[in-house]
Amino acid sequence: MVNYITDLSLIDYTAYALQFLLIFIAVAIVVHKNNGTIIILIASFSLVTASLYVINNAPDVAIAEVAIGSAIIPLIYVISISRQREFIVLDKAMDDFIISDNQFTGIGYILLKRFSDFYHLELNITNDPLLCRLGEGKDQILCEQTNVDLIVSKDPASGEYILKGKASNILMNKLEQMTKDYDNIRVIKFKDRDFGE
Amino acid sequence: MSRQIVLILLLGALFAVFTMSIIELEGLYNAFGKEYFLEYGQSDTGSNNLVTAILLDYRLFDSLFEAGILLIAVSGVIWISKHDIEEKNARFMIDKFKTPDLFITFSRLVYPLMLAFGFYVIVNGHLSPGGGFQGGTIVATAILILYYIDADKETNIGLIVTVEKIVYLLIIVLASVSIVTRGTFFTNFFPLDATQDTKAIYLVLLNVLIGFKVALGLWTIFTAFLKEGR
Repeated sequence: MVNYITDLSLIDYTAYALQFLLIFIAVAIVVHKNNGTIIILIASFSLVTASLYVINNAPDVAIAEVAIGSAIIPLIYVISISRQREFIVLDKAMDDFIISDNQFTGIGYILLKRFSDFYHLELNITNDPLLCRLGEGKDQILCEQTNVDLIVSKDPASGEYILKGKASNILMNKLEQMTKDYDNIRVIKFKDRDFGE
Repeated sequence: MSRQIVLILLLGALFAVFTMSIIELEGLYNAFGKEYFLEYGQSDTGSNNLVTAILLDYRLFDSLFEAGILLIAVSGVIWISKHDIEEKNARFMIDKFKTPDLFITFSRLVYPLMLAFGFYVIVNGHLSPGGGFQGGTIVATAILILYYIDADKETNIGLIVTVEKIVYLLIIVLASVSIVTRGTFFTNFFPLDATQDTKAIYLVLLNVLIGFKVALGLWTIFTAFLKEGR
């Protein structure tokens, strides 16, 4: 036991330092709020782990760790997060609710802009003709199977604007709260269905 | 509060059992396996890298299921991210997906190097650290970078998955050839007294097939992720 403590070489000190660094990185991953920083921290976590594998004479595992942990996983996270940063609204109403005189000055646009700024999202309004042509009944399928977050349509009978989105999307609750004061806006939330239903 | 106390006690018990089992392992540990592989590993399998020797010869049965796990994971990812509406909001998303020009230029520079390094790791799996799985992952990363260079690249996922399954079957067939030549399943099909270079042919073949399969599998996962947003 005495030998074990006194015979520490430089490589052992490096290993101990790296292990402490690993703990700090792990805590930082949990504590940090910014997604980009977290991705970099995850990548550096696997780099430190890989160097520990090399110190423990396991270069094969180290190569696998570097390739997966610090290349593939961060890239997949980057893809997923860059997809998440947008709030996509499909405008089926096509009247002055969002666009008036070819400019984004409608009352709906101001509302949605305030909403997406609150969550630091990029508002992306589309009236893709292919998707707008789909019938009312397909709205739920549209929300589930594409990345459209919100569908804006107009009720022809009462003249109300209807905002539809998935109930599992937590943003919808906030949207419902924000539109409480508007009489002519109604929010509909689709219940989630299980696979194969 | 009581639940938290019970939880802490359970965690403490778990920790105690864990430390006890580590002490037990000290007694169980012996160097028999290590000495055996060091003495016979190279001559038995023809591989300088003992990890490859164990993966592709002594424990090939385990490796086959390891490759199967990735196949099942890929099927799971595809099943979860399946889309039915044809031409789902295809166009407007792509021009929104902007990659910095600097990143694209560097990707063009790095892409062939990554591909070459991946193939090097695959083919040299029996000589140096690495092998089919590691090399396949590097090749897959190179392919992923290709998507950053060309954002609206079209991929036929169905074809990739089919090829991956065929390659997996080829791996099983290649691993089972030894029943004809040697009389046992899942080992090198060259006779035991063949030279090291002859045995290496089998190792390179299997490494290339595994690397191919892993690269295709990870490629499928990327495309599923990329398609999810479009």
